[in-house]
Amino acid sequence: MRGVSDDAIQQLQGIDAELATKVDGAVDPEQLYALFVEYLGKKGKLTKKRALMGKLDGPGKKAFGRAFNAIKTAMEARIDARKQALVAEARAAELARFEDLTMPAPRGHLGSIHPLTATRRKLERVFLSMGYEVLDGPHVEAEQYNFDDLNFGKDHPARDMQDTFFIDPQEGTDARDLVLRTHTSPVQVRAMLTREPPIRIIAPGTVFRRDDDATHSPMFHQIEGLCIDEGVSMADLKATMERFVGAFFGAKLAIRLRPSYFPFVEPGAEFDVVCPFCARNPGETCNVCRGSGWIELGGSGMVHPNVLRAGGIDPERYTGWAFGFGIDRMAMLLHGVTHLRLMFEGDVRFLEQFPC
Amino acid sequence: MLISRAWLQSLLMPGRVAFPDEAGLSSLITGLGLEVEGVTQFGAGLEAVVVGVVRGKRVHPSADKLGLVEIDDGTRTVEVVCGAGNVPDVGGRIAFAPEGAELPGGFKIGARTIRGVESRGMICSEVELGIGVDGDGIMVLPEAWAPGDRLIDRVPGIVDTVYEVSVTPNRPDALGHIGVARDVATKLGCTLVVDPLADPEPVPNPKLVTLSAPERCGRYFGYAFEGAAVGPAPLWMRVRLHRLGLRSINSVVDITNYVLMEWGQPLHAFDRARLAEGRVVVRLATDGETMTALDGAELTLTDDDLVIADAERPQALAGVMGGADSGVAEGTTTLLLEGAWFAPRDVRRTARRHQISSDSSFRFERGADHGVGLARAVARAVQLIGDHTGARLVGGHYVRGEVPEQPTVVLRPARVDRVLGMAIPTDEARRILAGLEIEVDASDPDAWSCVIPTHRPDLGIEEDLIEELMRHHGLDALPSAPAMATGYGTQAPTALRDPAGALSRAEVDALVDAFVATGCHEFVGLAFACPETLAAVDGHSVPVGVTNPMRKQHGVLRTHLLPGMLDALALNTARHGRPVRLFEIGRTYAWDSPPTGTGPTESIDRRLPTERLRAGVLLSSGVIVAGGEDAGFSAQTVSAVLCDALARVGVQAHVRPTSDGDTVACLHPGVQAELWVGGAEPRRIGHVGRVHPDLSLRWDLPEGVDAFYGELELGALPPGTPTLMVGLPRFPATSRDLSLDTAQNLPAWTVVDALRHAASTLKPSAEDAPKLAPGDRTNADVEVLEDYRGKGIDPGRRALLLRLHYRAAERSVKDAEVQSVHDALVDAALSALRSTDPSVQRR
Repeated sequence: MRGVSDDAIQQLQGIDAELATKVDGAVDPEQLYALFVEYLGKKGKLTKKRALMGKLDGPGKKAFGRAFNAIKTAMEARIDARKQALVAEARAAELARFEDLTMPAPRGHLGSIHPLTATRRKLERVFLSMGYEVLDGPHVEAEQYNFDDLNFGKDHPARDMQDTFFIDPQEGTDARDLVLRTHTSPVQVRAMLTREPPIRIIAPGTVFRRDDDATHSPMFHQIEGLCIDEGVSMADLKATMERFVGAFFGAKLAIRLRPSYFPFVEPGAEFDVVCPFCARNPGETCNVCRGSGWIELGGSGMVHPNVLRAGGIDPERYTGWAFGFGIDRMAMLLHGVTHLRLMFEGDVRFLEQFPC
Repeated sequence: MLISRAWLQSLLMPGRVAFPDEAGLSSLITGLGLEVEGVTQFGAGLEAVVVGVVRGKRVHPSADKLGLVEIDDGTRTVEVVCGAGNVPDVGGRIAFAPEGAELPGGFKIGARTIRGVESRGMICSEVELGIGVDGDGIMVLPEAWAPGDRLIDRVPGIVDTVYEVSVTPNRPDALGHIGVARDVATKLGCTLVVDPLADPEPVPNPKLVTLSAPERCGRYFGYAFEGAAVGPAPLWMRVRLHRLGLRSINSVVDITNYVLMEWGQPLHAFDRARLAEGRVVVRLATDGETMTALDGAELTLTDDDLVIADAERPQALAGVMGGADSGVAEGTTTLLLEGAWFAPRDVRRTARRHQISSDSSFRFERGADHGVGLARAVARAVQLIGDHTGARLVGGHYVRGEVPEQPTVVLRPARVDRVLGMAIPTDEARRILAGLEIEVDASDPDAWSCVIPTHRPDLGIEEDLIEELMRHHGLDALPSAPAMATGYGTQAPTALRDPAGALSRAEVDALVDAFVATGCHEFVGLAFACPETLAAVDGHSVPVGVTNPMRKQHGVLRTHLLPGMLDALALNTARHGRPVRLFEIGRTYAWDSPPTGTGPTESIDRRLPTERLRAGVLLSSGVIVAGGEDAGFSAQTVSAVLCDALARVGVQAHVRPTSDGDTVACLHPGVQAELWVGGAEPRRIGHVGRVHPDLSLRWDLPEGVDAFYGELELGALPPGTPTLMVGLPRFPATSRDLSLDTAQNLPAWTVVDALRHAASTLKPSAEDAPKLAPGDRTNADVEVLEDYRGKGIDPGRRALLLRLHYRAAERSVKDAEVQSVHDALVDAALSALRSTDPSVQRR
């Protein structure tokens, strides 16, 4: 019966050979699955041949059984190998693909934040981190807070330093003492009237002066700083300014104070900072400081005793300093804005340049 | 104020300290608080110009109007061609620029042949030398000058550096060279030298001056002269005045100007022969009195104007300007010289009333010297008038009115350190104060008694003296020392609420970011608006008027953000064709309910207009230029932008139809809606819609371009609250679609609101009955799916398709129970809606 067994095994080998040919021609996993069903499924061509075993005797049966299992395993492996090969081919093909990611991407519309807002916030963040309160006041202000309490005498030429917009009296009244605030300094008075020392505030905000040319707008922005406590001195002002410019410009920059006059401080000084922009155009004369190496930032000084008194603070016990400078100019310097007018006309080609 | 370096130098005692060079002096003056804003060099090239003697002159052989002049320039004699008519006779002296000289302005002198005669050099006029504006003829020099003398040696100050100094209003003393020199001398540690002058001692003549307003005129010197020969001022004086930008008039006027520049003291000279009775009366004008000022202006005076009158009528506006009728001119022989001190505030009022700002009023307003400086200046002028016009002083009178008391200020050396944070050694402090002519009595070493000189009216308190010490000691040595023992950052940052809104600054900043995140660009508009334009946008608010606007279009403060944003849209439209999406957060101003401030600032705050913080969004739609992009925005885009931005700051807003009678005038009456916030106190916070077509027309928007606008009143916003989590549902929802036949103007929001209202008021059949609730794939409990108006729908009607979601919290719901809840709810909602649309029904 050995011949019978050999014959049966040959049939199995024939089926295997047939599958091998088909597997090699298969091009996707679905075909391979169909082949698996066709040959190795419950009613598959190979599976059906298991029935031959029943016609064999002991040793023949044993030999056939061994051969059947071996061929079945081989056929499964054949299908599996082809499957792996197909996956590898597909992966290789996928990896060979090139997409041009430099084509313009469809994007959502990016909004933008005004350079003045961005600069004001940056200034606020620095002073908030130093423990300062941020305050603001009304834009339409009484002369008392805008001038009188800040030691601008009535009929004093110091009032000419700030050309003032006056406000028509409200109908039915004849109050002619309202102005558009010419500086943020009235907030100093308001802060003193509503707080007890120690007072540490900054007051960024909109201010107005009758000035309109290439470098002036009738509306612009200032930031005011005020610090009142026992034992506050010019040296403290200098230290605070140094910390401020360090945090704001991200570099340790020297501060220079020069004597000057503002009615609400005594002594008064202008403060300059070493130009942080000279590095922008290496090898050329800096177009910001014009080669002087310094940028004039603003005015400062020790709060005038008359101002302290107007704010209800005893100048013998407390001293304080104040400073102020323009936010618009700072924003122009930071962002290289050439004309102040651009800030307020709303051309989207200008605005959209500042997404942060 | 223009300050001459040569003049300053002449006022300082040369000594062990070297006088600084041009740049050094500039930074020294600036360091004293007198900021140098500009520097001009004069006299470059004049080294070559010498004194020449005329040795012969004849007419040019081929040109009658030209002369040939033989000049001896000290080394040789040359012949030059000269066209001037005033060449002196043989022996006369002229200014000669030899061949090779280069005159100011870059004019090079070379040998030139003029009409066949070679000319080797030039006889110069003042214009050519850059020392005058007088063009008639060449300069004729004094006979005493030797040929070959260099002009720059003969006329000191002809080579000079002039600084443009910005003098702050507190420093009237620095409006003259002596004041600046005093500062410079103190800083350098050298001595100020002023020519010693004898006080003039004229024959007393009390008739010359009558003072009837002593409260306005503190001092008045009146000196009478006879026998004056008024001609040109001496060359050195004219050169100095020219360097300071003053035009030479005649010797007397030039002398008053010279003393003005030297002492900072305004003086005036009258032609005494033209004064009625030859005397002056210092008095208040009478209302309506008139006079003609020196500049020709006709002035109508008030009884608040101080005048210098003669026996009959005003001849000068005191401290402001002289009169045309009594000015000194060539031919004047008698003079009355005025040196006075007028009260600053009154001079300022008069100058402003008549809109005159003169060198004189500028100084009196700031406070001239009524003491030694005034007396010295008058003495100086008397001397110069005598020297240069030959006039004799024939009489004088000096009257005193009221002047401010000279304060004695106590300076505590310990306080200097306390205010400045740096110590100034006692002897240096004493030296500085002495240099400034402040008399110090230091018998109490802890409290010096300091007498303030009359030339420093700005010094009145201890801090003023500390500033003087600081100025002269310099700030370079100022240490950097935070004095606050507690250090920085210990106080928690608190952002105070903006008085104009209910939001904190942090919340407003968050709102800015939220708008940016929706793709809008932040715009900052001017606070000013045009009254007419504003009225077209906002007819309700009472705008705040600006009394002195810079232009008519800035006559009021904005009550509304829209006009400014439409200006920006129009500008963008005119410049390019890009779609516009802008937002602004800014204040508006109106006279309405007074701010109800409390506390120490209340009395002021109640009188101020209301300032509101508003947010506006403006989007454009339509193609602005051919081929341009249409962003396809609509009024609903604006709602979405506003609601999304508000959600980012913790405010849940929704859109409601405009309430009856609350239509907003700036928006299309049929394309507008309101923004509301719900919660415990539902309230309106803003409006959205399409900009009214009349406004599109007014702003000239192109055909087919529309603007959509939305605004929020930030003061009406509830404070943002932390968002509370809603539990995730554990059981599935079931939905029912609902198609309604409604009138077209029955807003979807009204329908949804009625359904929700019905859901919240219908009594549930059981505790765990299905309720209207957000669906599985949406956050909405009622979705509006479609507004259909096509085929099969009657005109004026529409089919509104909605989807309602139902859910029970603790179990799955059955179809039948959902249907019964749904039917009851829809029936209730429809009966409520019939009050608005009687024919609303299910389809």
